[in-house]
Amino acid sequence: MSPKNTCAEVAPLFVFYLCNEVDDRERAKIEDHLAKCESCRTQLSEERSFQEAMGGVSQAADELDTSGVLLAQCRSELAEQLDDLTRPRVKETPLRFAWLRRWLIVHPALSGGALVALGLVLGVQSTEWYASRNPSNGLDQAIDVRPSVRLTDDQLAKMAVAGINLTPSSSSEKQNVRLQLSAEQPVELSGSLDDSDVRRVLTYVLANGERFDPGVRLDCLDALKARARDSAVRNALLSAARKDQNPAVRLKALEALGDESSDQAVRDTLLQALQYDTNPGVRVEAVNLLVRSLQNSPAEGLMPMPSLPEEHALSATPGVVTGSADESMANVVRTLEDLQRKDPSRYVRLQSAAALRQIAARNDQ
Amino acid sequence: MPLPNLALALANETSQTSASAAGLTRVISLADLDDRHLVQEAQAGSRAAFEELVRRYDRDVLRLALNLMKRTEDARDVYQEAFLKVYRNLHRFRFECSFYTWLYRIVTNVCLDHLRRRQARPEDQAPELHPAKYEDGGTDFFERQREYRPTLDPERHLVGKEIQARLAVAMERLSPRERIVFEMKHYQGLKLRAIGDALGTSEETVKNSLFRATRKLRSELGVLR
Repeated sequence: MSPKNTCAEVAPLFVFYLCNEVDDRERAKIEDHLAKCESCRTQLSEERSFQEAMGGVSQAADELDTSGVLLAQCRSELAEQLDDLTRPRVKETPLRFAWLRRWLIVHPALSGGALVALGLVLGVQSTEWYASRNPSNGLDQAIDVRPSVRLTDDQLAKMAVAGINLTPSSSSEKQNVRLQLSAEQPVELSGSLDDSDVRRVLTYVLANGERFDPGVRLDCLDALKARARDSAVRNALLSAARKDQNPAVRLKALEALGDESSDQAVRDTLLQALQYDTNPGVRVEAVNLLVRSLQNSPAEGLMPMPSLPEEHALSATPGVVTGSADESMANVVRTLEDLQRKDPSRYVRLQSAAALRQIAARNDQ
Repeated sequence: MPLPNLALALANETSQTSASAAGLTRVISLADLDDRHLVQEAQAGSRAAFEELVRRYDRDVLRLALNLMKRTEDARDVYQEAFLKVYRNLHRFRFECSFYTWLYRIVTNVCLDHLRRRQARPEDQAPELHPAKYEDGGTDFFERQREYRPTLDPERHLVGKEIQARLAVAMERLSPRERIVFEMKHYQGLKLRAIGDALGTSEETVKNSLFRATRKLRSELGVLR
């Protein structure tokens, strides 16, 4: 074997040779070769220097625990942990009704059924008992003064609505609303619409409809429709009627606003729906609401009647100009005329014509 | 922690009044027991015997942990985790190897886990010892060893610090397994076979790890050459 080959074989063993980890055969081979090879002797010398240098370096342990304090701490901590592990568990005191517990465990199906039946009976009985003891509970509670969870604007912005439950009360005005919200933590709000937090959440949902499910928005409208007189609620309903993406929501918002058609903003919204809403159902509802408002209002009441234009197709007898005719009513008439002529939905055209006839009839009176 | 040495000290009751060594028929201290007996006592439920085993080896365990982890908090975690594992699993120990080997197997596994977790989180590396601080341009690392190590030169301490800092940086470049093998060989003085037993691997694999570790360290530390 050539010396070069031997160098290549022997050199990798120097690391182990120096720490006495070679067998006798390897040792003999290395020492034979070293006797002949100057280069390998140098290499071994370097390796030895390196290992001695490594051995001379002070260790992290020498610096990090010079006084043995760390070792004492570790021992003490370990003893505590062992105490925790070996501490006998507190013996449980025998439970009362242990026989019942055992029976429930042994008969899971029967016990499940029995518990459900018991729950039902108790639920029904306790509701009746409570109602009999508090017959005027719903009426007396003019304002819900329960301390409710105050929701910050930030929480509102992050919340999701998991459920809205309406519980009819003895008074339709006083229906209870239970809101299950999940913001950073689950929150449950419960109370009548007098509760400002409940109203705030409901109106927030309507005003930010794009963030919530249409079903949730419809539930909100259901809850709020009794409170359309409240200006904040009305604004939320107006916003939903104008902007909501879902036609069912817009329709329901218009329905909720129907009783407030004397309000200028409501009337503008109805007109806007008449003119621009893409959904024929919504347009029909807007027409119906206008017609209903005409039926309900006195001849010179809240909704003054304008004179109809001469060329109006349906006004066989030109209307009498009521001195109090206002521009908005003229707008209504113009819009209805447009709809009557141009609306793609036949039903909308018919309803518009009917509304115009009604207006003309009122003007005749 | 109760004093373990007293745990098995059984004095002859009749001789207690004399209070003399002669009155004691037989006194067996836990410290006198070998590992096998201590382990058997501990397996039988003797907390004192277990604590004696801990005291016997925990200095080395903590030293290994400190050298590998370079941080007292991590070394403490390794110490606790390792001995709690030993305590929980002692009933499974069947004397197929020495207790020492079995203990080191647990300790090295815990160390490997910690080192690997640390490697996976670069922001959680051991603090660097500012190698640049000691650089003074082009000096040969090995020359400095020859020059300063055996002397009483006042700069000796500073140079030692430099080597330590460079070594710490170089060690960070090793794989967790290489680092453990190097540490156990050079600073714990274990034979390669024992290291293999502790790591649950063959002597040949340990040899390869040690060889690679040495090459890498020489290469890292010889950069200034």
